[in-house]
Amino acid sequence: MNARPQNAEAPAHERFPLKPGKTYGLMCVVPTRTENTGSAAEKQVQSWPAALSRELLLFLVTVVALGLVSYFFNAPLEEPASALHPPNPAKAPWYFLGLQEMVSYSAFWGGIGIPGILVGLAMAAPYLERKRGGEGVWFHHSRSGANWTFLTLMTTLGILTLIGTLFRGENWALIVPW
Amino acid sequence: MSDHDSKAAPKGRREFLTLLSGSALTVAGLATAGASLVYLRPRVTYGPPSRLSVGKPELYGSGSQVALPEAKMVIRRQGNKVAAISTVCTHLGCTVNPSETGFDCPCHGSTYDERGEVTGGPAPKALAWYRCTLAPNGEIVVDKHQVVAADTFLEIQS
Amino acid sequence: MSIREVAVADEAGLLGRIYRSIFRVRPVPQTELERSQAVASNFFFHIHSAKVYEETLKFKKTLGLGLFSLFTFVVLVITGILLMFYYVPAPEQAYQRMLDLRGVVSFGTFLRNMHRWGAHAMVGLVILHMMRVYLTGAHKAPRELNWVIGVVLLLLTLFLSFTGYLLPWDQLAYWAIMVGTSIASYAPVVGDQIRFFLLGDDDVGREALLRFYVLHVVVLPAVLSALIGLHFWRIRKDGGLARPSTDE
Ligand code: HEM
Ligand code: FES
Repeated sequence: MNARPQNAEAPAHERFPLKPGKTYGLMCVVPTRTENTGSAAEKQVQSWPAALSRELLLFLVTVVALGLVSYFFNAPLEEPASALHPPNPAKAPWYFLGLQEMVSYSAFWGGIGIPGILVGLAMAAPYLERKRGGEGVWFHHSRSGANWTFLTLMTTLGILTLIGTLFRGENWALIVPW
Repeated sequence: MSDHDSKAAPKGRREFLTLLSGSALTVAGLATAGASLVYLRPRVTYGPPSRLSVGKPELYGSGSQVALPEAKMVIRRQGNKVAAISTVCTHLGCTVNPSETGFDCPCHGSTYDERGEVTGGPAPKALAWYRCTLAPNGEIVVDKHQVVAADTFLEIQS
Repeated sequence: MSIREVAVADEAGLLGRIYRSIFRVRPVPQTELERSQAVASNFFFHIHSAKVYEETLKFKKTLGLGLFSLFTFVVLVITGILLMFYYVPAPEQAYQRMLDLRGVVSFGTFLRNMHRWGAHAMVGLVILHMMRVYLTGAHKAPRELNWVIGVVLLLLTLFLSFTGYLLPWDQLAYWAIMVGTSIASYAPVVGDQIRFFLLGDDDVGREALLRFYVLHVVVLPAVLSALIGLHFWRIRKDGGLARPSTDE
């Protein structure tokens, strides 16, 4: 390019007037650090190959892992469906067994009330937590309150799901699975 | 809009048109959403009918209770009275079995007494009693969409 | 294309020109410019920015959970489409088709296994991904909307998995859906209406199987794919993945 800036003060479109009838595209990338005002420069790398190669690797791991599991373990298939023979106990898929467990304590609160509140809280969470800081850091000390609340809720749900999945037998009675 | 204010005229018109097209789009969107919901709510169903005939009262001896597993109910006859009681557990929809004490659910152990009231387990409310009527041909017709109070029997002359 | 690239294309002859008509850069880009173009000029890659922050590439930052969720979804779409060639969503046939997949369809067992285990895995992975986002504070401003999109993605994933659960039409499927949809009917006032709407009938039966099938193979995957696209676009617009601010 021979279009040297004639007058560095002039606005960009005067220094580099766009010619009609020509198409413009990305011509070169200047290998230099860009200045981030207000913060120290962050190291950036080319997405190709840095990000793309990692993604390919994760994809391969996913396919191989699923393939191995599917090779060694067969998906369950029970007797054909029959409305006349309810099993004891009848269970929802595992990810709803926390709900089913709560439903056995209180129909409305377990099945609708608490799940609704939890989804509402989850949606509202980023708007409620207004203090900045701690982004991109695991268990940042300034967010320990929020993290503990979140972990407590998730652990409770996890335990309820576990009880519903493993520790509930005939007549929904508590059992020991081993 | 006044005549001499030439600049206000197009602005007023533009705002009016924006408002008009905006509300037209909103109405159209809501109507489409509503119509889709109406469309998706079936007006006929292909499963077992909710209003069904269970035969003449003579089929049911006095003091007996007969389970109709396909229809998910029992027919109870006491003297000259018949009633239909649902066998769909109010907990999570399994089919309950008649027992010595009333009804027991095989799924999570809810128990009900003979009137269908909950006596144990996770079930939140009593078993439903359905409205029974006598058709002109003398058969009992049960309507599963009409739930009546417990102990509502149909009187039959015999 | 830069002047130099055009020259390369002309030198390369017909095959080279065909290659150039599809890809704008050499198979293995050599310069910074070519690497940027490799991303920017490729339909599938250009969801990435040309450069990413090195900090956010570290495995321990994300544990790769979002990508694992995505790739599991991709595997599910592929195996799911293949299963569709043999599956019939009708009560008289569905179960028999499951037996056929196991007995007479080449690779049928393997594909069904992969689809089934993949579905379970995806639910787990998406939940774990959500936990990592929260515990690294990546849901806070300016990423609030992407978190909300994420919550919707989680609900869709659960529902997608749930609708698929009915399709084998075995005892497990039938009673799980009976129990699951009964939970929905605990909603006050409209509960029974919701269940009727979902099942297309008072009870789990022919209509429910057809409805769940349509939701499972068309509606939910389409909505999920669109929202995943939005999710990724927002990551870029929110300035890349969350990372510690450098001016502290
Ligand atoms: C279908 C399900 C989902 C897919 C395929 C998906 C995919 C991804 C991917 C690939 C990333 C890049 C970073 C990473 O790999 O961790 C990401 C980031 C993110 N995801 Fe998801 N996600 C899903 C569900 C969710 C859920 C359930 C939430 C939260 C409720 C969520 C919230 C976020 C947020 C806020 C980011 C930005 C994180 C950051 O800036 O560090 N996503 N997602
Ligand atoms: S369905 Fe009857 S006790 Fe749960």
